[in-house]
Amino acid sequence: MEKRRKSKGDNLVLRYLVLGSWALFCLVPILWFLSIGFRPRTEIITPEPIYWPTFSLDAWRLLLADWPIFDYLRNSVVAVTGSVVIDLILGIPAAYSLTRYEYRGRDDIGFYILSTRMMAPAIVAIPIFFLFRNMGLLDSVWALMLIYAAVNLSIVVWIIRSYMLDIPKELEDAARTDGAGDLRILWEIIIPACLPGIITASVIAAIFAINEFLFTLLIASTKSAYTMSVALANFTGGSDGVIYNAIALVSFLAFLPILVLIVLIQKHLSRGLTMGAVKG
Amino acid sequence: MARIELRNVVKRYGSFTGVRRMDLDIADEEFLVLLGPSGCGKTTTMRMIAGLEEPSEGEVVIGGEVVNEVDARDRDVAMVFQGYALYPNMSIYENIRFPLRMRGIGKSDQDALIRRAAEMVELGDFLDRKPGALSGGQRQRAALARAVVRQPQVFLMDEPLSNLDAKLRSSMRVQIKHLQRQLRITTVYVTHDQIEAMTLADRIVIMEKGVIRQIGTPDEIYSDPADTFVAGFIGAPPMNLVEGKAENGRFTAPGLVAACPPDISGRITLGVRPEDCRVVTDGPAELAGAVYGVEPTGETTYLTLRTGETLFEVKAARDARFDLGAPVKICFDPERIYFFDTETGVRLRAQPQRSAA
Ligand SMILES: Nc1ncnc2c1ncn2[C@@H]1O[C@H](COP(=O)(O)OP(=O)(O)O)[C@@H](O)[C@H]1O
Ligand SMILES: [Mg+2]
Repeated sequence: MEKRRKSKGDNLVLRYLVLGSWALFCLVPILWFLSIGFRPRTEIITPEPIYWPTFSLDAWRLLLADWPIFDYLRNSVVAVTGSVVIDLILGIPAAYSLTRYEYRGRDDIGFYILSTRMMAPAIVAIPIFFLFRNMGLLDSVWALMLIYAAVNLSIVVWIIRSYMLDIPKELEDAARTDGAGDLRILWEIIIPACLPGIITASVIAAIFAINEFLFTLLIASTKSAYTMSVALANFTGGSDGVIYNAIALVSFLAFLPILVLIVLIQKHLSRGLTMGAVKG
Repeated sequence: MARIELRNVVKRYGSFTGVRRMDLDIADEEFLVLLGPSGCGKTTTMRMIAGLEEPSEGEVVIGGEVVNEVDARDRDVAMVFQGYALYPNMSIYENIRFPLRMRGIGKSDQDALIRRAAEMVELGDFLDRKPGALSGGQRQRAALARAVVRQPQVFLMDEPLSNLDAKLRSSMRVQIKHLQRQLRITTVYVTHDQIEAMTLADRIVIMEKGVIRQIGTPDEIYSDPADTFVAGFIGAPPMNLVEGKAENGRFTAPGLVAACPPDISGRITLGVRPEDCRVVTDGPAELAGAVYGVEPTGETTYLTLRTGETLFEVKAARDARFDLGAPVKICFDPERIYFFDTETGVRLRAQPQRSAA
């Protein structure tokens, strides 16, 4: 801490240089597939270096014509959104209960919920497959929605709980003496007071769900359940062999929603990790 | 409307006892002040009356009904919390409206009530703000407005003025007392500020470490303290307490000799208030010492003397000025000397002396 403050003045240039290089290092792959995505196919497989790339929408046309991108997008949106909604409906009351009520085994339950996150997903892959096959939910977005919700529930509960712990108990006491009941306190006092936590948890759950691969691969087998993440992995550019610029474009499309989400919660992410948001 | 009784109430936190065996009978419409140092159990007592804390033993009775099992929301009390507890996501207006909304008070009546409460605490211009955009003092006033906006059975106020500056504090004090008299609502008020307690209370309850030391009107507490704790806690500057010995009707301590009731003897603490002392130039005097400090307050001058190991405070004339180290003699008002058992701190009454005189 001390050191950092000291070097603030004289080493500013160096700091920006280091941070800038790191940013560039992270951005290059993204810029690269962006660039490939907007160039003609021939330019990508030629061994000669190209300094002035030609702009082309070939890859776009190919994609829109050949590849059911909107099906995949719809599947992703439905499964992810639905899973986050389920997580919030279950997670908010769970977090509240773990924060406020005292009952036997409360902390054990809290830890159990967290521990579901610790095991490698592959361990339950087979049982999950049979479970959903028996329910007749293979190749269905509803199955994906349930799985994403289950996978993320623990993290949603724990993020929201950590925000709720920050809400002074006096706030609830005040609401109670003012005449509010449990549900109203949850709805009018607790939820608004930990809204940043709820948003953070939702976005993090959404990002995990968008990127989910293993279970989706297991459950989905056609475009009726393929999400962007699995479709992307299976995509080679169509029947004419591997088409890199189309792949690059698909990667970019899969990446966009995550970018948007990250930008959305950027403020809360840094604040959420330092806490102290609702001291009143 | 609401008499409050605490019957043998105990509150334990694990092995720690926050409040022990409290018996308290608060009359309807009374203004009762709980006074004591930080951590003595004032807030805990209040929370048990509010129903936010369950007594480990004993009964809480409001309006003749044992309310131990009654939920806080059904007790019809309004409380000002020590930490304000304003709802951070609501504007001040919405904060003050919340209890009205919860108690189903008609929409058409709400606005006038809210504005009246806000005016009372001088927050009329801040109704649109969120609590986060207010200073500590303003938040505290908002919390007060939220409590007084409706007419409950009982007002509970936990140090509601602790964060205000001196001027606002004294004007709010008058406001609170006036409001309480007007609405005639039983009020329990917590403070660690004895001026607040003296000026507001019908009766004061002095607490220490979870125990009631004395209950009485401000007058009784001031002029008839039950023990050294009460004597030292009330009054600014507080009562002088000097440890010494009593024998054959004489109390002696370094630099101090005073008459005492003949039946009092052994290790005794003498107490006398600074305002019951008089600086004398000649003639008999109880105390002799050297000037240690002089504090003119404008209204009067406080003189600190050093006798032996102890410092002794005296209220002198407004224009009295002394050099440091100058020898001074002090006379006590014989009617207002108190004696306490040094060991237990308990007051020793001078009954026999009066009958003898
Ligand atoms: N929930 C609690 N758990 C454990 N100890 C507590 C709790 N609440 C209060 N106490 C203890 O009880 C004592 C009295 O507290 P409190 O009533 O808040 O004091 P006061 O309001 O007079 O300053 C304190 O020593 C405090 O530490
Ligand atoms: Mg307190």
